[in-house]
Amino acid sequence: MRIRAFPMTMDERYVENIWSLLKNAIQEIQKKNNSGLSFEELYRNAYTMVLHKHGERLYNGLREVVTHHLESKVRQDVLASLNNNFLQILNQAWNDHQTSMVMIRDILMYMDRVYVQQNNVDNVYNLGLIIFRDQVVRYGGIRDHLRHILLEMVVRERKGEVADKLSVRAACQMLMVLGIDSRAVYEEDFERPFLSQSAEFYRSESQRFLGENSASVYIKKVEARINEESERAKHYLDESTEQRIVAVVEEELIQKHMKTIVEMENSGVVHMLKCQKTDDLHCMYKLLGRVADGLRTMASCVSAHLREEGKALVNVDESGANALNFVQSLLDLKDRYDTFLGKSFVNDPIFKKMISSDFEYFLNLNLKSPEYLSLFIDDKLKKGVKGMTEQDIELVLDKTMVLFRFLQEKDIFERYYKQHLAKRLLLNKSVSDDSEKNMISKLKTECGCQFTSKLEGMFKDMSISNMLMEDFKNHIQTSGTSLYGVDLSVRVLTTGFWPTQSSATCTLPLAPRNAFEVFRRFYLAKHSGRQLTLQPALGSADLSAIFYGPRREESETKEKADGPSSSTPTSASANGPRKHIISVSTYQMCILMLFNTRDRLTYEDIMNETDVPKKDLDRALQSLAMGKPTQRVLVKSPKGKDILPSSIFAVNDSFTSKLHRVKIQTVAAKGESEPERKETRSKVDEDRKHEIEAAIVRIMKARKTMQHNLLVSEVTEQLKSRFLPSPVIIKKRIEGLIEREYLARTPEDRKVYTYVA
Amino acid sequence: MDLGEDVSSLFGKRSKTSSNSTVNRSRTKGAEEAPTIFNQKKCIAWFRQYSTPSSPDTIGPEGVEMFCRDLNVEPENIALLVLSWKMGAKQMGYFTLQEWLLGLTDLQCDSLAKLQAKLNYLHSLLLDSSHFKSIYRYAFDFSRDKDQRSLDIETAKAMLGLLLGRQWSLLNSFFQFLDQSRYRVLNKDQWCNVLEFSRAVDVDLKNYDVDGAWPVMLDEFVEWLKVNRGESNIQ
Repeated sequence: MRIRAFPMTMDERYVENIWSLLKNAIQEIQKKNNSGLSFEELYRNAYTMVLHKHGERLYNGLREVVTHHLESKVRQDVLASLNNNFLQILNQAWNDHQTSMVMIRDILMYMDRVYVQQNNVDNVYNLGLIIFRDQVVRYGGIRDHLRHILLEMVVRERKGEVADKLSVRAACQMLMVLGIDSRAVYEEDFERPFLSQSAEFYRSESQRFLGENSASVYIKKVEARINEESERAKHYLDESTEQRIVAVVEEELIQKHMKTIVEMENSGVVHMLKCQKTDDLHCMYKLLGRVADGLRTMASCVSAHLREEGKALVNVDESGANALNFVQSLLDLKDRYDTFLGKSFVNDPIFKKMISSDFEYFLNLNLKSPEYLSLFIDDKLKKGVKGMTEQDIELVLDKTMVLFRFLQEKDIFERYYKQHLAKRLLLNKSVSDDSEKNMISKLKTECGCQFTSKLEGMFKDMSISNMLMEDFKNHIQTSGTSLYGVDLSVRVLTTGFWPTQSSATCTLPLAPRNAFEVFRRFYLAKHSGRQLTLQPALGSADLSAIFYGPRREESETKEKADGPSSSTPTSASANGPRKHIISVSTYQMCILMLFNTRDRLTYEDIMNETDVPKKDLDRALQSLAMGKPTQRVLVKSPKGKDILPSSIFAVNDSFTSKLHRVKIQTVAAKGESEPERKETRSKVDEDRKHEIEAAIVRIMKARKTMQHNLLVSEVTEQLKSRFLPSPVIIKKRIEGLIEREYLARTPEDRKVYTYVA
Repeated sequence: MDLGEDVSSLFGKRSKTSSNSTVNRSRTKGAEEAPTIFNQKKCIAWFRQYSTPSSPDTIGPEGVEMFCRDLNVEPENIALLVLSWKMGAKQMGYFTLQEWLLGLTDLQCDSLAKLQAKLNYLHSLLLDSSHFKSIYRYAFDFSRDKDQRSLDIETAKAMLGLLLGRQWSLLNSFFQFLDQSRYRVLNKDQWCNVLEFSRAVDVDLKNYDVDGAWPVMLDEFVEWLKVNRGESNIQ
């Protein structure tokens, strides 16, 4: 007896029957005749087949049926419509196919779940897709035609003609679905040719656009096209294409031609900069920002132009140079580019950095920049600045600080600033202590205390001197000491704080000399260990003067001019003696007082008797004798603009002025003369030597040993806020320190230094 | 008149050889031919042949000259430099008694003959590179003027010629460079680095390291040499 298992196998006939049933049903579905079918029955039959291990048969059968239908019916229909509503027919076929496949899948769901899973084959729906794809969509003629039609639609659209967007969209979606889990079908059958056709299209578009020869027009057109393609992709191709097609447009229209656009004559970046076209620049910025290196291309063009503009401003020749204009023009330039930075370049750090480095570059091309900057600030801190409120000045000074930051030789600036500050303080020209102190605190923020401590010392000296004068006045009153008729005012400067002057002395007239002696005794009694040296170059004097001659324009009769000791009543009549107070420098006082005892003096006489250094003497005499008529207190003969040793000077008795108090302006050179500048420079170089050595010693003391290159770069780093030392100079200083036995080379490695305690 | 004890009491400490001398006194007296043990008294007496009564503990330039003649050696002979180095002599042209004793004791020479025999040995010291370096460095301090920190250029050239003349092919070029430069002295660092340079840098200058922390003078020398050889564009 044989026990058999439950008959799981069916006989062949039975299977055949089931299959026929199903096959028929499938075909009806495909013919859209599904209404008469029973879902339940069909499902059950399929279930049975699969259960009895006939899944494979069912699967293969399915494949056959579907293939046959698509091949012989659907494909033919589509082919027939190639020139007649192709897309619509195709789409219709597709929709029908999807619908029937859904139904077929539902019937065969058990097979999907069991057989398909177990055998790792495509599920029913996907099988349908594959067959549709291979038998219909990718069938030779259909495939080509589909591609052709779709591309043609795009071409038409680009020309601005109407196209059947919905059909195109449906077709694209179909292709996407046919890729099953990838977009490969869409990509191969449509997108790739689409992109390559688009590339060609835009290649010639670019030529067309360029032909218009206007960068701003080009940019606008590109933007328009990008938007268009974006929209197209979003709305009726597949969304995923958007990024790709935009990339193509960017490549063809922007990337390949960005240099041309940027550098286009009369419309490119340079033109936009020159004509302040901030909006156009912004459009270009946005556009070029789309491609790699686009912004860099633009930035380097802007940079080149800025450097040119900067260089032109900075390379003013000697004679035309005016510190105020120099600095003002640079401030204006900075303002312009800051506007561009803000409005056109949205504060992009690339551009910000580039502008800064450009300014640093050309500002330092002119070696007098530090001096000019200081003169500019000096001008704004002096009394009599016209047309600017306090806030205006504050603003300008802040902007000037921005330029200051770009200076490489800040130590030179410091030197000039001290000089100019000294003049302002001593000649009482500052607008206010507050604005001075404000400026100093700005500098302190930038440069640290070392820079400003001496400046603050200068202020202290001024206030101490004021107190000193109070004491002195009291002292004079209480002790009844004579000051020889001189109303004396002394300012005592601490040597270390103030800029060093060549302490040239001159021969003071008797009265002031004696008066000063009184003060000197007074001061040294208070501070016995100190030494006082008179600095005639910085002093000033008010002289009371009487002119006896007739007014100007009348004939001259020379008479003695009286000094301060005699007093003759003033008469208001035109021919009477005229009293004035003349404000002069100390040197000028020495000169003028000579004429109390002499009518006329030669240049040589004056030089011998006053001992004023030649340069200053010339300047003083020029101001007194060769300035404006309202300033000409002396006359020189022979007339002419040269001062010779034989020139003769005398009081200008016809001197007249509407003002009672006449200030003699010094024929001042704004800024230094060449030899003065050389002297300043050599002083700066001396200072730098010390600063470098101090830095070296400081670093070596901390580190004990250090390799040569490291030491050089550390030193440079430490000093860069003041100036930029070259490696050769640093090396020389190191050698100097070796010689003086502060450092030594290590015996093992001559490139390594060690600190000698 | 026991000179040995006078001198040693001056120094305030007994030298190693003092015990020897007591032994010596009993044995040899005035013998010069046979290889005798070093006699300090003899050495000192030999010293006194060259010093003057007015400065008995120093041999001056004339004494040195005489010494050289006796030794049959020119004063420019490098052996003399080596000898001075052995002595630790501070100043070229002068030997103090202390220096004399130090050097000659080390060499175990108390007579001309013995020293002459040692001349080859002195020369051989130059062949050892670390001795040579030591002698070279010593030469700087030895030949400079004691109130100057640096060595004047003419003396420097002479010493360099003596020391490096045979072994550095660029020496003459270096001299030419110095002549046309503004350098009037050489400092110690520069001096020492010239030796390093001669040892480290090839004649074709190809391995000259610009970042090698060479003194600026040598950077300039290399630059000058390159220009002169037509290898550089810098004018």
